[in-house]
Amino acid sequence: MNDRVSSMNLTPWAVLASIATATVVGIFYGVQLVVLTLAAGALLLVIWLLWRSVQSLAGESQLTFEDAFSLGARSAEEEQKRAVLRALKDLDFERSIGKISEEDYQEYSARYRAQAKLLIRHVDESLAEARKVAERDLERRLAKLPGKETRKSPEPADEEPSDPLEPIAEAEAVSSPIAAEIPEKSPKKTATTLRACAACAVNNELDARFCKGCGAALAEPGQKLCGACPARFPEADPRCPECGTESESKS
Amino acid sequence: MWQSLPELGTGVVYAILVAAAYTFAVALAAGRGRPRLLQAARLGAYATSALVLFAILLLSYAFVSHDFRIRYVAHYSDRRMSTAYLLTSLWGGQDGSLLWWSLLLSGYVTGCVAWLKGRYRELQPYVIATLMVIVGFFAMLMLFAANPFETSIAGARPDGEGLNPLLQNYWMIIHPPCLYMGFVGCSVPFAFGVAALVTRRLDNEWVIAVRKWMLFAFLFLSIGNVLGMMWAYEELGWGGFWAWDPVENAACLPWFTAAAYVHSTMIQERRHMLRVWNVFLICLTFFLTIFGTFLTRAGIITSVHSFAQSSIGTYFVYFMGVILGASLGLIVWRLPDLRSQGQIEAVASREAMFVANNWALLGGMTFILVSTMYPKLSELWGESATVGPPHFNRWMGPIGLMIFALMGLAPLFGWRKTSNVSLKKAFRAPVIALVVMVVLHAAFGKALGYPALVARDAFYPGVVGLVIKHIGSTLPAITIALAAFNVAVIVQEFARGVGSRRAAALKRGEEESVFAALFRLVEKNRRRYGGYVVHLGIVAMFIGFTGTAWNIDRETALMPGDTYHIGQYSLTYRGTRMCPGNPKCSPAEQADIEKRMLFADIDVTRAGKSLGRVSPAKFFYQSNPDGPTTEVSMIRSLHEDLYTVLGQADPSTKRATFQFHVNPLVSWIWMGLLILIGGTLVSLFPEFSFGEVGAWAYVRAGAGAAAGIGFSIWIAMAPGAAYAQDRPVHDARAAVASASVLPNTRKLPTSGLGMAGLVGLGLGSVVSFARRRRDNAKSSRD
Repeated sequence: MNDRVSSMNLTPWAVLASIATATVVGIFYGVQLVVLTLAAGALLLVIWLLWRSVQSLAGESQLTFEDAFSLGARSAEEEQKRAVLRALKDLDFERSIGKISEEDYQEYSARYRAQAKLLIRHVDESLAEARKVAERDLERRLAKLPGKETRKSPEPADEEPSDPLEPIAEAEAVSSPIAAEIPEKSPKKTATTLRACAACAVNNELDARFCKGCGAALAEPGQKLCGACPARFPEADPRCPECGTESESKS
Repeated sequence: MWQSLPELGTGVVYAILVAAAYTFAVALAAGRGRPRLLQAARLGAYATSALVLFAILLLSYAFVSHDFRIRYVAHYSDRRMSTAYLLTSLWGGQDGSLLWWSLLLSGYVTGCVAWLKGRYRELQPYVIATLMVIVGFFAMLMLFAANPFETSIAGARPDGEGLNPLLQNYWMIIHPPCLYMGFVGCSVPFAFGVAALVTRRLDNEWVIAVRKWMLFAFLFLSIGNVLGMMWAYEELGWGGFWAWDPVENAACLPWFTAAAYVHSTMIQERRHMLRVWNVFLICLTFFLTIFGTFLTRAGIITSVHSFAQSSIGTYFVYFMGVILGASLGLIVWRLPDLRSQGQIEAVASREAMFVANNWALLGGMTFILVSTMYPKLSELWGESATVGPPHFNRWMGPIGLMIFALMGLAPLFGWRKTSNVSLKKAFRAPVIALVVMVVLHAAFGKALGYPALVARDAFYPGVVGLVIKHIGSTLPAITIALAAFNVAVIVQEFARGVGSRRAAALKRGEEESVFAALFRLVEKNRRRYGGYVVHLGIVAMFIGFTGTAWNIDRETALMPGDTYHIGQYSLTYRGTRMCPGNPKCSPAEQADIEKRMLFADIDVTRAGKSLGRVSPAKFFYQSNPDGPTTEVSMIRSLHEDLYTVLGQADPSTKRATFQFHVNPLVSWIWMGLLILIGGTLVSLFPEFSFGEVGAWAYVRAGAGAAAGIGFSIWIAMAPGAAYAQDRPVHDARAAVASASVLPNTRKLPTSGLGMAGLVGLGLGSVVSFARRRRDNAKSSRD
């Protein structure tokens, strides 16, 4: 059987076909033959699945796109990142119904954010190499296509390693390195380390450019944000009038 | 070997073992991160499941074709049984029920492997390997101890023995499958736990993966146990629903630990604590499911449920030893990685409450376990003790109430430590509700028939006995008070959530109605609010359990024309009739060839108003003329059941002995189950995003919702359907009066479940296409 057939997912069709045949048989011949037909279908399914399994083992079958895609599935860090983001969402909710004190909320929130930033950075770093490979591959393929312009398209090509058959490096236990990097107790966030949004009064981090509550831009056009204190000041000024920090051009 | 069906069947069971072993080996090899091997393992798991399906279809064929060469078929079926019962016999005996267990396990394996897809790639190999070990064990059991395809030495009989008439009812069709679904479902979380321990990925990854699986298993454990209660109540005729039978106890043990787990897992997700607790609870839950089935099958403790005694117990003991050894070994090995990253900082915190909850549930489980095993254990030191319901009832009351109280307290506390201010705010309304209820109960309880204090006999001698007796007499009042407390807490939680949503909306300048806020609140926090609905269901069940404190049980002998008063009812005995034969019998009763039925007709009135007729009966089955079965007749209402049982009737004088029971609040237990199912479905409902999964999301969601609702309706219909099956009704009034908790739905075909599924698929498809059209229109506009 050629690769195309073996890579098609015949299983659901086989099951449906068995049930359909069994129903027809049942109408004409009675219950016993229904069971027998279904049993025959099950046996065929067994043979088909076992054959595909052994084929896979022997390395004869192509990985389907779906399987290859899913190989680039989330690593432990990505799972952790999702867990942290979910925890942040839960935290916000708990605070809104008053289950957690403001002080504790700030501390937890800061801790989770720090953790999330770290994880995102790790994930990006670990993907950088694979992303470069994927982009090179894409350019090569685009160059081969007749009449198409080759563009440096920054495809969010997934985390496919160059050879999908190479053993993927074992992920180490992530908890220790990550946990070690997070400070035990992050500095307490006070009002001066947060910036209030002009539209909805929600507190945002100092490096945020858009409000997390309403999405409004935190600086007016022609203004920029200070990175060290909540102040906003005209773009032209080199220093923050409140705290005197020299500003990078951030608006 | 393949020349006959029995031999083919045995061959297939061998093949199951081989396939499971193959998949196990490939899965372990795939643990090094080789995608090809993982794919082969996944396909192997599917193939093993398909083999089990093939085996059960072969056995089904043997049943429907009356292949009495096979010992199991000859023992549990005969030529007169309908197809439905022939298939029910699949799980009627030891051997077949092992194959049935394997089938459900295969279903879970298929579901788990399909659901995993590309996720949890590190854990997958070990999950599959663990599941294959379990499948392999059951295959070995079947091969060496209880082969369902074994042939009789004497050859094929002309007719089989038939399924015990007591088991030929609606309950036998639904109770074992539901309970088995619950038991078997605990294997998947266990497999994830083992995989996490082996791969050292002990963070929240595995805990989040396992969430829905454990909840699903917990749902079916609850359904299975309550269906068992319903069956005992409706059929056995002793007036109660739980006899603390060893097998009943074994079935509820994993329920306790599963309940503990679904709560304690939240602490791990939020604060990375209680990680040892969680792996321990998961392994313990699975161990208890195997232990439960061991108790049922090995016959070491006498029980009405036991299968016949056999050597199968030894295999189970070895397997349990392996599970215990492997689990404890893995946990101890990974103890350094499992150490908490946080601490309990105050008693007034949610973490502390959940730890207390863990201990309470574990304690309850341990009490039931030790008490159940006590007769066997006492033989070790030469005694021969028996442990009966009074012992359990005495102690489970207080233990249950502790758990009940914790259920209400825990949501009131915040994380880490709760300030006094927020504690006061949180406790205010529930405490007021509690106090008001205590006062109302004390004042009006007796008048309504539910007195607050119920005198009890001293169970133990001396001062201890006296103290326990007095505490015991206050339990009903405490339960009702705690019920009010719990309801207040739940309502408060919903109110707070809705309030906070509406406040946030106002801040944004929008307005959100109460209903919209409620809907979106639940939608965005399904687990939390679904859980609160489940708690509401548990409250209803506790109210139902408390009702037993106010039971009225009487025995009497009556002549035709006598009237007996019990509670508020007046029962007038009219006489007996034997069907078929008596002209007063209905056409359906006259046509029955399977049994002779002796009915005693009693007219019931309450406060002068006629409530219809009850007809408790004794059935004499042709296949078992010396062992008549008792058929209960009931008049149900929300606040109590009138339960009548016929003892004996003198054929000449028509003098008959009866047992009459008034059981208050029993229907609340069944209602509680329905609420519990609803709450669990809300929690289980997938959080799908249209973009992520495409059109099928709505179809699946729609089908899932419809199937869930359909299933709940099916369960609710159970008492009515079972009643209808037993006794063709001749009196319309009695029919309505004694139908199930829901209105008379017997006309609804049981294929309603399939209809519900189709309707759900249809609805889901419509919604998904409409949504798709709208999105396409939107994108073409942009």
